[in-house]
Amino acid sequence: MTELRPHFHDELAHLERDLVVMGEHAGRMLSDSVDALIASDVPQAKEIIAADDVVDDLFLEVHQRWLETMALQTPVAIDLRLMSVILHVNSHLERIADLAVTIAKITKKAKKLPHDPTISTDLREMGDIVGEMIRTVMEAFEARDLDRALALPEMDRPVNRLNRKMVRKVAGLASDPELLEWGVRMMVVSRTLERAGDNAVDIAEQLAFLLTGEFREFTDASHHD
Amino acid sequence: MTGRTETLDTAAVVRASLRGRRFNPAGVAFEATLLLMLLVSLLILVTLLADIVIGALPVFRDRGVDFVTSGISLDSSTAGVWTALLGSIGITLIVAVVAFPLGIGAAVYLEEYAPDNALTRFLQTNIRNLAGVPSIVYGLLGLAVFVRLVDLIGLGGPDTTAGRNVIAAGITLAVLVLPIIIITASEALRAVPDTIREAGFGVGATQWEVIRHHTLPAAAPGILTGTVLALARAFGETAPLLVIGVATGFFSAGSAGLFDRLTGTYTALPAVVLSWSRQADPVFKENLAPAAIVVLLVVLFVANGSAVILRNRYERRW
Amino acid sequence: MGVAVESRDQALVESPIVFDVAGLNVHYGDFHAVKDVGIQIRRNEITALIGPSGCGKSTVLRCFNRMNDLIETARVSGSIRYHDVDLYGSDVDPVQVRRHIGMVFQKPNPFPKSIYDNVAFGPKIAGFDGDLDELVEQALTQAALWDEVKDKLNDSAYALSGGQQQRLCIARAIATSPDVVLMDEPASALDPIATLRIEDLMQGLKENYSIVIVTHNMQQAARVSDRTAFFTVDMEETGQRTGVLVEFDETSTIFTNPGEKRTEDYITGRFG
Repeated sequence: MTELRPHFHDELAHLERDLVVMGEHAGRMLSDSVDALIASDVPQAKEIIAADDVVDDLFLEVHQRWLETMALQTPVAIDLRLMSVILHVNSHLERIADLAVTIAKITKKAKKLPHDPTISTDLREMGDIVGEMIRTVMEAFEARDLDRALALPEMDRPVNRLNRKMVRKVAGLASDPELLEWGVRMMVVSRTLERAGDNAVDIAEQLAFLLTGEFREFTDASHHD
Repeated sequence: MTGRTETLDTAAVVRASLRGRRFNPAGVAFEATLLLMLLVSLLILVTLLADIVIGALPVFRDRGVDFVTSGISLDSSTAGVWTALLGSIGITLIVAVVAFPLGIGAAVYLEEYAPDNALTRFLQTNIRNLAGVPSIVYGLLGLAVFVRLVDLIGLGGPDTTAGRNVIAAGITLAVLVLPIIIITASEALRAVPDTIREAGFGVGATQWEVIRHHTLPAAAPGILTGTVLALARAFGETAPLLVIGVATGFFSAGSAGLFDRLTGTYTALPAVVLSWSRQADPVFKENLAPAAIVVLLVVLFVANGSAVILRNRYERRW
Repeated sequence: MGVAVESRDQALVESPIVFDVAGLNVHYGDFHAVKDVGIQIRRNEITALIGPSGCGKSTVLRCFNRMNDLIETARVSGSIRYHDVDLYGSDVDPVQVRRHIGMVFQKPNPFPKSIYDNVAFGPKIAGFDGDLDELVEQALTQAALWDEVKDKLNDSAYALSGGQQQRLCIARAIATSPDVVLMDEPASALDPIATLRIEDLMQGLKENYSIVIVTHNMQQAARVSDRTAFFTVDMEETGQRTGVLVEFDETSTIFTNPGEKRTEDYITGRFG
């Protein structure tokens, strides 16, 4: 087969490589933010906040190149779908990095408060899973692996379950005001991790659209139990 | 850095090669030879024309229009080209009437209707060959067929003529120029772009409507030019006329009516030139014959000139 | 929510079929130009035929108004039903066919006549006995040319620019009140501005006519058409090249999610 638009397809590949780099950054930021939170490691939290600039720069660069490519190359079919997917994935990854920053900021505020080990364990588990989800979906994207993309909702399930149980666990800390304050902050962390997981699932949906040409949501929020 | 240096180098190379015009002796010699050839051809032509005009000059100076309006005569002081001019014009008109519709019709059939097969190509090739057949052969054909035919249908005139008249001569010359008309008309039709035919068919025209409204009008200037040139050729043709009995001696036609002129003994300008150049009286040979040639040339120039004007006026761009 | 969204697809309403083509084969002498084409052209839609050179898209277009009849060696087999009449039936007069199916050609080809005569010729030979001036004005207006030429109707059509000439050819094609307008790469000889005008004009024309357009410009097909047929060149066992229809679908589907790999490779520039 003759490649008639090598320049354009190189450009697409370049955009995709930028996304993969962004995915690595965002995933690491999220995992690190949970580590820092649990270890009350404020310097590491500050590093994470600073690292967000790298992701933001990548986001802007991808966005700019995307606009140029769209204007100049008028992509169609698989190329058009890839362009659409790139734009979405770019936002999702930027969002995940922002969520990691949210957690890092909470680290500073929760530093002096007492911790509840059960909740810490849950958050660690959630953080591990979401980090793994981000890695998995980005690898699936690179490999154009539909099966792995379709596995994302299953991976997300324990994250949602742990998030739902978090309210009751925090309510159990009501006897100690300081512990309760910590617990309420951890509810925000739990909610943030859950949203990061949702972003990873959304990326998987985009990947499925790219590969099948049909867009459908993996989980229907209105029917969710 | 490398790229920039290379660019500078390229610029220097280009600049160096642009400078310094080189003298090319072979080219100059070739051009000079071609010019010489052109000049030699022109020189021959000019000599010929000058010779004729110098010979004819005394005739026009002494007699003026009288030479053109006088009839045929044995007396060199009264002989004129009027009879011959009328004969030539008559012949040419008959050629036009016969060859024009036949030639264009044949060309339209060949170009627009005939299927592209071996027979058509055979016909086209042979029409080209016919155009190259020596004119004397057409004279023999005219004598064998048209003279008898004209006599048979009662247009043969008096027994002394028996069909050797303007009508037979006109038909013979019409056949002579027919291939030329077919070829030039074919070429004019072929020059009409197919896109115009397609456009005609595209709006639901029949083949006849496309030809009538688009192809023929578009080809008309080319066809007209070709036809006028063919008529000029007929006007100047001599050999076939000699075969079918053009009068080369004296005859009286001074007061004949149109019908008698068409059916009776006739002569034509080129025949008169030939006849006079063989007379014993040197005035005929040295002055009258060149004068007749001048008349012939003037008529031809007018004909060719009008062809050029027609073409320029109606020529279209696609 | 109570709102049931059945389908996200903006499926076209299935308008009546004008041309129903099945098993169409075209030969030029020994050359098999087009093989087994099946396609439906629908009323008031623009159908685009796209594909690489030699894929037979123009050949198929020229079957619709029997323009291939003008080529001696052309042989057409299979079925083309036009309003359910066999277009190649022995009792069908190709001249009448072309009065119902107008055509616009690749290069603007006005007659070497006045602007007025160019438009009036078709109706005249068709025996139109109404107000010819009015008809000419209507056709030129529909072709978005009237304002530019209304003061010089008797000028030669060749005095117009290429884009104007092509719009004149469109006016000429619609002056006979056809049912279908065929366009064979109508903008390929025009500059981009003139091209956009023709494309815009087509959107207005499809209110009244069904349009089939052959184009080598994929973006043009994407911009103007409702349905797109993608043709390509196949190598036969004999080593001959022949045109085949690969995919025929709504244009939005062809350009976002084509069903065939070969379509996708071609439109994304991975064609070899």
